Amino acid sequence: MRRTRSVTTSPDKLKVAVLGSGNIGSDLLSKILRSDSLECTLFIGRSLSSRGIARAAAMGVPVSDKSIDAIVENPDVCDLVFDATSAMSHARHAPVLEELGKLVVDLTPSNLGRMCVPAVNLEEGLAHTNVNMVTCGGQATVPIAHVIGQVHGSVPYIEVVSQIASRSAGPATRLNLDEYIENTERAVRTFSGCEHAKAILNLNPATPPVDMQATVFAKTDAPDIDALTPAIEQMVERIRAYVPGYQLIVPPTIENGRIVVMVRVLGLGDYLPSYAGNLDIINCAAIAVAEGHAQRLRGLTRGESS
Amino acid sequence: MSRLLVTDITLRDGNHAVAHQLDAHQLEVYAAAADAAGVAIVEVGHGNGLGASSLQVGEATLTDAQMLATVRGVLKNARMSIHVIPGFATINKDLRPAVEAGVDVIRVASHCTEADITQRHITFAREQGKEVYGVLMMSHMAPKEVLLEEARKMEQYGAEGVVLMDSAGAYLPVDVRDKVGHLAQGLSIPVGFHAHNNLGLAVANTLVAAESGAYIVDGAARGFGAGAGNAQLEAMVAVLERSGYDTGIDLYGMLDAADVCERELVQVLPSAKSTSIVSGLSGVFSGFAKPVDRVSAEYGVDPRDVFFELGRRGVVAGQEDIIIEVARELADGGRHDG
Amino acid sequence: MTALLREDCATAATDARALEPLRGARVLVTGGTGFMGTWIAQMVATLNDEQGLGIELLLLSPSAATFTARVPWAARRDIAVIEADVRDIVVLPEGVTHVIHAAGTPDNRVHVMDPLRTMSVISHGTSAVLQAASRCDTPVRVLNVSSGLIYGPQPMGLERIPETHVGGPEPDSISSVYAEAKRYAEAETAAWRSTEKLQVVVARPFAFMGPYQGLDKPWAVNNFLRDALLGGPIRITGDAETVRSYLYPSDMAFWLLCLLAAGVPGTAYNVGSPEAITLGDLAGRIAAAVPADATPEVVCRPLGAPRPTRFVPDVSRAVSALGLRVTVDLDRAIERTLMWHRAVRDGR
Repeated sequence: MRRTRSVTTSPDKLKVAVLGSGNIGSDLLSKILRSDSLECTLFIGRSLSSRGIARAAAMGVPVSDKSIDAIVENPDVCDLVFDATSAMSHARHAPVLEELGKLVVDLTPSNLGRMCVPAVNLEEGLAHTNVNMVTCGGQATVPIAHVIGQVHGSVPYIEVVSQIASRSAGPATRLNLDEYIENTERAVRTFSGCEHAKAILNLNPATPPVDMQATVFAKTDAPDIDALTPAIEQMVERIRAYVPGYQLIVPPTIENGRIVVMVRVLGLGDYLPSYAGNLDIINCAAIAVAEGHAQRLRGLTRGESS
Repeated sequence: MSRLLVTDITLRDGNHAVAHQLDAHQLEVYAAAADAAGVAIVEVGHGNGLGASSLQVGEATLTDAQMLATVRGVLKNARMSIHVIPGFATINKDLRPAVEAGVDVIRVASHCTEADITQRHITFAREQGKEVYGVLMMSHMAPKEVLLEEARKMEQYGAEGVVLMDSAGAYLPVDVRDKVGHLAQGLSIPVGFHAHNNLGLAVANTLVAAESGAYIVDGAARGFGAGAGNAQLEAMVAVLERSGYDTGIDLYGMLDAADVCERELVQVLPSAKSTSIVSGLSGVFSGFAKPVDRVSAEYGVDPRDVFFELGRRGVVAGQEDIIIEVARELADGGRHDG
Repeated sequence: MTALLREDCATAATDARALEPLRGARVLVTGGTGFMGTWIAQMVATLNDEQGLGIELLLLSPSAATFTARVPWAARRDIAVIEADVRDIVVLPEGVTHVIHAAGTPDNRVHVMDPLRTMSVISHGTSAVLQAASRCDTPVRVLNVSSGLIYGPQPMGLERIPETHVGGPEPDSISSVYAEAKRYAEAETAAWRSTEKLQVVVARPFAFMGPYQGLDKPWAVNNFLRDALLGGPIRITGDAETVRSYLYPSDMAFWLLCLLAAGVPGTAYNVGSPEAITLGDLAGRIAAAVPADATPEVVCRPLGAPRPTRFVPDVSRAVSALGLRVTVDLDRAIERTLMWHRAVRDGR
């Protein structure tokens, strides 16, 4: 495995490339440009005539239509890669990027890297070279499920129900509902320690488009709302640090023998519409991971030079 | 004489009426009686279908596997059907085992504007050689042109028919004529209609549906179903037969089955209560009746207000969690940040 | 199973001289790893081995990477795979003399699920290919694979649709996007031919039945085959009086190569079988192809008013112009197809 250190123009910033010039990649680009610690050194798609590529070029960002080859042919161009292509493509990209010693933040549902929900396991995520951003429902509800698990010791069953606007669910989402459900359930189980998890997804076509919203239900013998409430509030603040549009709309309560917590995610509206909070939360989480790497590396560099 | 395919949904929609608590004995006795009456298809399951037992829409007494095994063991002629909503039910966890349990008919349902999500489940059901239908739920919420397009997608995915569900019991006869007629004209596969009785129109709407070109109709014995219940099957069969349609169902047998249903399954005979009428008018899923009543009482708000607000927000079936948010908002006079 | 396919190809190549213009040619096939591309590859491999035609094949598709794993016999020196999206083509690979432009899935589920992508691949893909072909120094012959669906619904009284039939898909329907895009692509073809004097021939394929056609697409013939393989009963869910015809793919591949080699530029040719059959009869013939002790029953429970449709090509233009023939009749097609699916299912 070759490790490369890129030649940098702004030595303080981590050099990142975006693989995938669709809506997700374009939105990521906007967030990177706003970041103090990240610099987009390459925006990569498959065709120079794609709208995303044209936009990036107009913004002065270096672009390429060579897909993964753009990095293979010029490995010094970046240290970290956001993969916003598809699960199938990521399966091919991952070993190549591993070989090149790149840090990878995977926004596809490929499930190859370590699952990372920054509010819960950022440090752990940063110790892996490939992290997977799970699902939108996962990013929104796993932190809540995690806190419920922590406060109660062990919880037999947690259920998460998400609502997203019809318009924010494209053909790829619709074709892969089962994968969404399975990945979200796995994440909820992993991060809450619960024995059984269920994920439900509702698409709502109302106009104007509805915001992303999610409910976490938990069944446990001795629910402790008094202990849960401040713990949830703290967790919500942790999430808001990287997802400013994250809101608690129903604080922990018991209804019909279940613990109920409801959250809403308003998108930042960088490139994606603001009702697409489901897409935005994954991008925000991905940026949080990259910035985490940037901070970590900055710390190392300072340590080395002192 | 026109032949109709009647689907008896007593053991599935009826589960809504008893918070999904139907037990094995109840499933057995009713399924046997329906089978004996010549019913073509008996649908069984949690009110929201396969894999829906959950905190969101209610936990069932029996698992899907238990329900299917019970009814499979009893049916001799009727085909066994399940209602499947992608987003609740996955192929691997839920649909595959159901196929192995001997399901004959798979009805894959989505909200009426979201047919795309049914593609993989319909494809899977077809690949297993099963009879597959598409179902468009809450179909009062979309104009007929949109319904036709969504139905056409299901047709392209391989559905053999598409059933329009009046999940909120909101249709008037003119709506039935309009929407069923439009689909019957534009699709090359048969159209179906699934009525609810919130406005007291279920049987009449079903007759109008048949007259408008529907070949598949749903009913439940004694109307045993969500909210105000479904089209009362025994009356529906009598009305259709008298109007010249062939349902294949024996009247006395169906009346006997309905008596079994009333005696063994029903706790409260379905009727168009105030909240049902309001949910029909506001276009909210009939299955919300119980949770709305419960949550409204908890928060001290008028359930009718909750229904109208849910209708205003355009909630779809399966979104029972929103009831809590709405009730809280009403209780606080809208002080909470939405 | 490979031997079976080679046998079919050898039989279908009724007139070896018809393909002389392709001797030593380098042929690019877009959509090259689909059903058509796979059979063209099989035909080329057979002709190269048996007649030394020396054709080099380049199969281009976005899912090329998995092709040789799925189709192991295609791992040979005269067949190369290129992983690319047809819309991204700017320059044809070096030395290409012929192009079969078959990109664009016929899977109607994809057409309604992702109509934007469907139309984009067909319209932008066609213009990319034609543009690239027009820039070559040596003239490149192109076969544009269109679709019999461009005619729109076949009038029930019209026995077979000739290329001269003027009709069209229903413009209001989402299920028409594929046919409309193919019609647009034909118009593009005419425009490029007229402006750049490109040698483009158009093929309008109808329906096929044979190995390598996945049974997942929800077409009646696939339903019947699948039901037969599952042990029956064979259910007719549509109208038993609906009329179709099915060409076996070895004939399809030979016809397409002949059109590529010698079709008249600017001319469209229907590609399909003129042997019409009702769905009821088709189900019966498929049932009869299953051994007597396991013959499935055919079940037809018609629901609703009769609404038969018809989709049968008039192929006299291709037959008379190029001497093309149907070498595999329907019963043999059914027999070979069932044999192949059983072999796949049993892992042979």
